[in-house]
Amino acid sequence: MCIFNQAKRWIFLFLIGVVSVNINAQNLTESIQSSETGRELVLNKCSQCHTDSIWRDQRQDERAWEATMYRMMGRGAIWTRDEIKSMSAFLGVDFGNQSTKLKVK
Amino acid sequence: MRDAVTGYLTKTISRRGFLDNLKLAGMTVTAAEGVLSSLNSAAQNTPSLSNNNSTEVPPVKTFQGSGGACFAEQLMACGVKYVFGNSASEDAQFYDALVDRPQLNYILTPHEGPGAAMAAGYIKASQEPAIVMQAGAVGLMNAMGQVFNAYKEQTPLVIYSYRTDQSRRAGRDGFEEIANQEQVLQPLTKYSWMARGPSMIAETTRHAFKSAWTPPHGPAYLTWHSDHTDEKTRTEIIQQSHFDTRMRVRPNPVEIERAARMLLDAKMPVLIVGDEIYKAKAVAKVVKLAEMLGMPVTQMRQMWVNFPEAHPLWVGNAPAGTLSSITWPKNYDLAINIGNKMQHNGVQPIVARNIKFIDMRIDYQNMGKVMSTDVPLVGDVALGLDDLIAALDQLMNARSKEIATQRTIEVKKFTDRARQIFTGIVNNPEWNNAPLIADRVTWEVAQFADKDAIIVHEAGSVAMHSFNFNPVGGRELFFYYGGHLGSGVGTSAGVKLARPHQQVICMVGDGSFLFGPHALWNMARLELPVITIVYNNHAYGGPHSRSIANVPSGRMVETGQFVASYLGNPDMNMAHIAQGFGVKAEVVSNSMELKQALSRAKLSTMDGKPYLIDVQVVRRGVGWTEQPWVPNIKGSKQKAKKT
Repeated sequence: MCIFNQAKRWIFLFLIGVVSVNINAQNLTESIQSSETGRELVLNKCSQCHTDSIWRDQRQDERAWEATMYRMMGRGAIWTRDEIKSMSAFLGVDFGNQSTKLKVK
Repeated sequence: MRDAVTGYLTKTISRRGFLDNLKLAGMTVTAAEGVLSSLNSAAQNTPSLSNNNSTEVPPVKTFQGSGGACFAEQLMACGVKYVFGNSASEDAQFYDALVDRPQLNYILTPHEGPGAAMAAGYIKASQEPAIVMQAGAVGLMNAMGQVFNAYKEQTPLVIYSYRTDQSRRAGRDGFEEIANQEQVLQPLTKYSWMARGPSMIAETTRHAFKSAWTPPHGPAYLTWHSDHTDEKTRTEIIQQSHFDTRMRVRPNPVEIERAARMLLDAKMPVLIVGDEIYKAKAVAKVVKLAEMLGMPVTQMRQMWVNFPEAHPLWVGNAPAGTLSSITWPKNYDLAINIGNKMQHNGVQPIVARNIKFIDMRIDYQNMGKVMSTDVPLVGDVALGLDDLIAALDQLMNARSKEIATQRTIEVKKFTDRARQIFTGIVNNPEWNNAPLIADRVTWEVAQFADKDAIIVHEAGSVAMHSFNFNPVGGRELFFYYGGHLGSGVGTSAGVKLARPHQQVICMVGDGSFLFGPHALWNMARLELPVITIVYNNHAYGGPHSRSIANVPSGRMVETGQFVASYLGNPDMNMAHIAQGFGVKAEVVSNSMELKQALSRAKLSTMDGKPYLIDVQVVRRGVGWTEQPWVPNIKGSKQKAKKT
């Protein structure tokens, strides 16, 4: 392998690394934003009818939270698919099966 | 104004004279004409008037016979066609009188509770009088739960049960005797009275029917010592047309005008609708009022849906029972209630204190109780709507009409979007699960139901979405507003008896069903082809979730020991229960099976036979596991010897 090829290889790996870091950073940012948005949505929308005592002991994964959100639609909640995704993503982390948090603060 | 109305109705003043009188009293021309037009329908809502042919039946007649026969005669004069009852030997003279009076149909119900629910269902669906009777105090106790419902729902149910103790041995704590039997019902009735002798039976019966059917409606109870039913007597029998008060009150015209001006001054008025609209058959009028002003319309907890749900001004039910819980609008500055009972379940008033409030209903006792009311409009809502519409018609100018048009566009923008979003309910990740989620069951039945089906709803924690209820010729809802469980099956049977030409579907939770399945037997016997759908999750789902909400992070959650929620182990089979009553039934566990079962149910009902589907539904909510906790109580381990 010539030096030129070796250099090209290092440049390639460097670029992959940069892109990868960027993508991961971007995912992380999106995840945080999504989680924050989800939290705000939960606080704003669920409190339309409930205090947090109705659901704060619930521990379930994101999919189950999503199903719970859709169940509220039958009861008059008007939430878009994206809003439901955001809320269930947040709840799936903070009120997921492994969570020890007791309430939203 | 009262003199003018009396004068016009008795033809002592002319039409013109009547209008002049009203104008002199300060009423606008349009409002006066509205009053005039509604006088022609003054007999509306006096159901028995149409039953009695006054040319053939004298308004008052003298009758001689047993107390039981007098009772039967007066019931017929009250317009009663159906008597719902459970076997009672002390009523033998009454039963004997029925043999030669085929106009009175006795419907034997195998339990007093569902029997009373059936009677109430018939009355609610027909708006015709009926009576339910029980065997003494002991039968009455079984019926009382449904009397409670009738009281809360303001159903004019008349209840009779004799006193087992006879008049010459009362007060000795005898068999089935309780002191002051009529007083037991007092908190639940508008009228509760014991006839003191056989000659008073007919008059007491009249009082009960008059009281029950004078708005605001409610149950009435009558009783007498059982020996009075056997005694011979001579009494007057009076047709209902000659003791009914025909109480159709118009709201104060001054207040009507104030209400109209406040509505026109409001930036975003919201209309709350309620059951008095359905009872008064005034849905078209309330739609007209909403459309005139472009008002968003909502409803708090009620028995019926009182506004077409597909209408662009319908913004949905208030999910938490307060106006602040509606999603939109949030900038309302005035609320007008037409006929809603405004049941408060929390500390906060349904309409916040800083919002102007207009309240129109006949239920004067509940007005001003919690709400701060700017304009009270006590009256029949059909007449009140006529007057309010007339007043608005006169007061509205080009500018106010333009404001209403713009508001209509704004409301429609929201409702269009809300409806579009709601179609996404099928995106629930558990939509295709088996056992089914309750929402899927509801949705499937909504796809299946006839366009004018009646849905009787007693499924506590289930939302009745997707039906697009429309009380004007579309699907109707009969919701268990009262809350004493065990009403659903009986109510459905009564509704079907009253509305034989409409499909009736009973949607009931397994817990509710178990409180009163007995009317299934009536459905089979009387060929009342109701389709009953049981959401069977083998649990009290609603109480389970609310218990945890009441004790968050408590020991129940920590240990998974829910002592009062789980109905399984062994699981109950509602299809077997139905088959025991002579009703075809099956158990289904997934959506395909449900669709096929609904098709079989339709074929069965077309043949006049009721059908029941036990739908296995998944338990949802905090704390459920695959194998929920059950108490370690085994009778077999506690007995000392094998028996």
